[in-house]
Amino acid sequence: MWSYVFKRAGATALTLVAASVIIFAFIHLIPGDPIYIRLGDMATPDQVDAVRHSLGLDRPILIQYLSWVSDALHGDLGQSIFYQMPIMSVIADHAETSLLLASITMTWVLLIGVPIGMISAMRHGTWLDQVLSGAAMLMASVPTFWVGLYMILIFAAWLGWLPSSGYPSIFDDGGLANLRYLLLPSLTLAAPNAALILRLTRASMLDVSREDYVRTARAKGIRPWQVVTRHIFRNALLAVVSAFGFTFAALLSEAVVTETVFALPGIGRLVVQSIMQRDYPVIQGVVLVIVVLYLLVNLIVDLSYRMLDPRVELQ
Amino acid sequence: MHFVLGLLRRCLVVIATALLLTANANAAGGTLRYAAVSEPAPLDVMLTTAGVSLVIGMHIFEALYTIDSHYEPQPMLAEGEKLDDGGKTIVITLRQGVHFHNGKEMTSEDVVASLQRWAKYGVRGKLLFVDGASSEATGKYEVTIKLPEPNGAWKNLLAHLEGGPAIYPSEIASKATDQPIAQADYIGTGPYMFKEWRPNRYIEIVRFDGYDARTNPGDGYSGKRVANFDAIRFFPVPDVGTRVSGIQAGDYDYAETISGDLYDQLSSDTSVKVVKAGAPLFGLFFTNSKAGILKDNYKLRRAIEMAFCREDALRVSFGPQALWNAQGSIFPPGNFWYSTAGTDKYNECDPVGAKALAKEAGYDGTPIRLLTSTNYQTHYDQATVFVKQMAAAGINVQMIVVDWATLLKMRGQPEQWDIFVTHHGGPPDPILLTFLNDGYPGWWTSPEITAAKKEFTSTADLTLRKKVWDHIQELYYEQVPAMKVGDAYSYDIMSPKVDNLVSPLFWPVFFNASFK
Repeated sequence: MWSYVFKRAGATALTLVAASVIIFAFIHLIPGDPIYIRLGDMATPDQVDAVRHSLGLDRPILIQYLSWVSDALHGDLGQSIFYQMPIMSVIADHAETSLLLASITMTWVLLIGVPIGMISAMRHGTWLDQVLSGAAMLMASVPTFWVGLYMILIFAAWLGWLPSSGYPSIFDDGGLANLRYLLLPSLTLAAPNAALILRLTRASMLDVSREDYVRTARAKGIRPWQVVTRHIFRNALLAVVSAFGFTFAALLSEAVVTETVFALPGIGRLVVQSIMQRDYPVIQGVVLVIVVLYLLVNLIVDLSYRMLDPRVELQ
Repeated sequence: MHFVLGLLRRCLVVIATALLLTANANAAGGTLRYAAVSEPAPLDVMLTTAGVSLVIGMHIFEALYTIDSHYEPQPMLAEGEKLDDGGKTIVITLRQGVHFHNGKEMTSEDVVASLQRWAKYGVRGKLLFVDGASSEATGKYEVTIKLPEPNGAWKNLLAHLEGGPAIYPSEIASKATDQPIAQADYIGTGPYMFKEWRPNRYIEIVRFDGYDARTNPGDGYSGKRVANFDAIRFFPVPDVGTRVSGIQAGDYDYAETISGDLYDQLSSDTSVKVVKAGAPLFGLFFTNSKAGILKDNYKLRRAIEMAFCREDALRVSFGPQALWNAQGSIFPPGNFWYSTAGTDKYNECDPVGAKALAKEAGYDGTPIRLLTSTNYQTHYDQATVFVKQMAAAGINVQMIVVDWATLLKMRGQPEQWDIFVTHHGGPPDPILLTFLNDGYPGWWTSPEITAAKKEFTSTADLTLRKKVWDHIQELYYEQVPAMKVGDAYSYDIMSPKVDNLVSPLFWPVFFNASFK
């Protein structure tokens, strides 16, 4: 077990080094210039050159990379060109929204996707299964920006039940009650992901239900709900947990459309905005943090297989 | 029983009084919530012309002069001025008793430090402070500007806060470089002061209780400024649908830049008020005077201009006709600088004539590279329409579509493009027009325009300047350094409970506004 953990940690470190090179190179290869964006339309080339020099962006690319890596290893990801704030503080501020949004979304996904997937599998081939599968396809295929805009229109503009957009931190006035700002976005994000988990749970449970040991359990006269929960569901969990880990990590960075529609200060929106403004230090910092998170979540998911299924060998 | 009724009555009186007080407090204070299209660039307004930065910066910083409702410069931090030496020496007297947000009184030392920083690093500083120009304190409340040549636009240049000379405390201005000043140094003399910037959440400014307002009545951006709101919060809300729903839901009080296709619907919606911009923006298709097929080929440029049918492009990009006007004067009707000189060449919409003129210009079918961006949907829409119209006139166009950051870089490289698309706001003085700036991509530097510009800036006589401006506009249509699309009036929406809003000249401002 421990040797596996060390091996994986080593591989993770190598992946990080490769990722840092790719991140840095790609960002500096795309055309465009943060200085023009910051100075505005009227800046002269001389002014642009002077600011570029002040920011050190006219140094050779290798020197810039080594300087960035050296600072990053000391825990300093630099300063945002636009916000004039340390990157770590910008990321921390946005990470709160993304982590909470992803967590609440995953709760909806869990509460909607897994039970309905189970029902669908148990009622396989019936009208109920057809209806639930059809609903899942619909949820998966409707674009999130469309769902989001209609959610805002109905629940904020017409009914006035929930706020339309924005998110004040839970550490601000209002405390935990501020989580209501994340209800509509999390439901919007949950729709396609719950559909995915629903379909996966259903398919996985159908596979397992055809196994010999399930037939044996039924033949032994074990109650049907016990067969489902103890024998089918638990064994079907492996595939679902893998998808959960991936979905959670993806939600941190891929919620950009939902974050834009609901004007949420999340990581996805920060990345896209920084790319549009060519705020290099922020893009580099955020992408690096996302890569680290992905690697960590995947490591945790891999290690959890052993707990879910003692037969799995960690090598 | 009587005791219970009496108690009830007293309770009702207390509740009614509390409600009345709350209503009054609301009218006098409260927080205005502003939905902006994006996060701003740093609020150091000397160094940026980015719109959202200016909307916020206008409340924090002030300049020596500002613009009234007729787009004419009026004193703000200045009290008055005297011109000597044929306009080469400008002596400005400052208002006394004006305080910065840090409590310090503004004196000539602060003004000179700010002007010097603007002269060195400000986006528009070099337009006034050319080589040999200087500013110095000639008294505690007196500043003298010396110019090598008279500059008829000096007051407008000192009044335009977009990339303009905001006045900072000397201890901040003198140590400031070409980098934006730190957030802790956002200290001005305006009616609101900076409180905090929480990235992608909001920027908050709060009322400055020590504000020394002018006593003359408010007129445009000039005159008395009163901060009625306790605070203003600027939220970045990138999606236009969310900004509209946010106003309807009561989550925001003001939302900027709403799309044209919603104009008719929102104009008849009683839950919102439509606020149309006072001054139009206009799309500009710059031609390359430094390199490529259009360099010095005025005939070919005119052929392109002749092929354009402006109404089609304006309709596609802005929607209902209430939001645009296809007219050729660079400045809109009613403006002092409005002129019809040369405008007979605007909007000819003649593909046959354009084809013949292109042939006469020696055009051989070489693709003309048109650089545009999708970040501004209107730019892309207009470019798409014009490309089809040029094709109808036999002019081949290769559209290069990139994001705005890439376009800004590419347009600085003359070998990369022949035409690029941008837009322009109506400045208070023609000298601020980008196509008259020979360092701006396009690089219009013919001998005729150089001589005309010199004549234009070397006099303060408005009648003479207007005459020269007419000549410049004529030259503009002859040499076609850029092609104006047409006047477009952007619009915002606000909650009906917002009252006394100053009609937006360039940007909305909320001094003197309040809740009903």
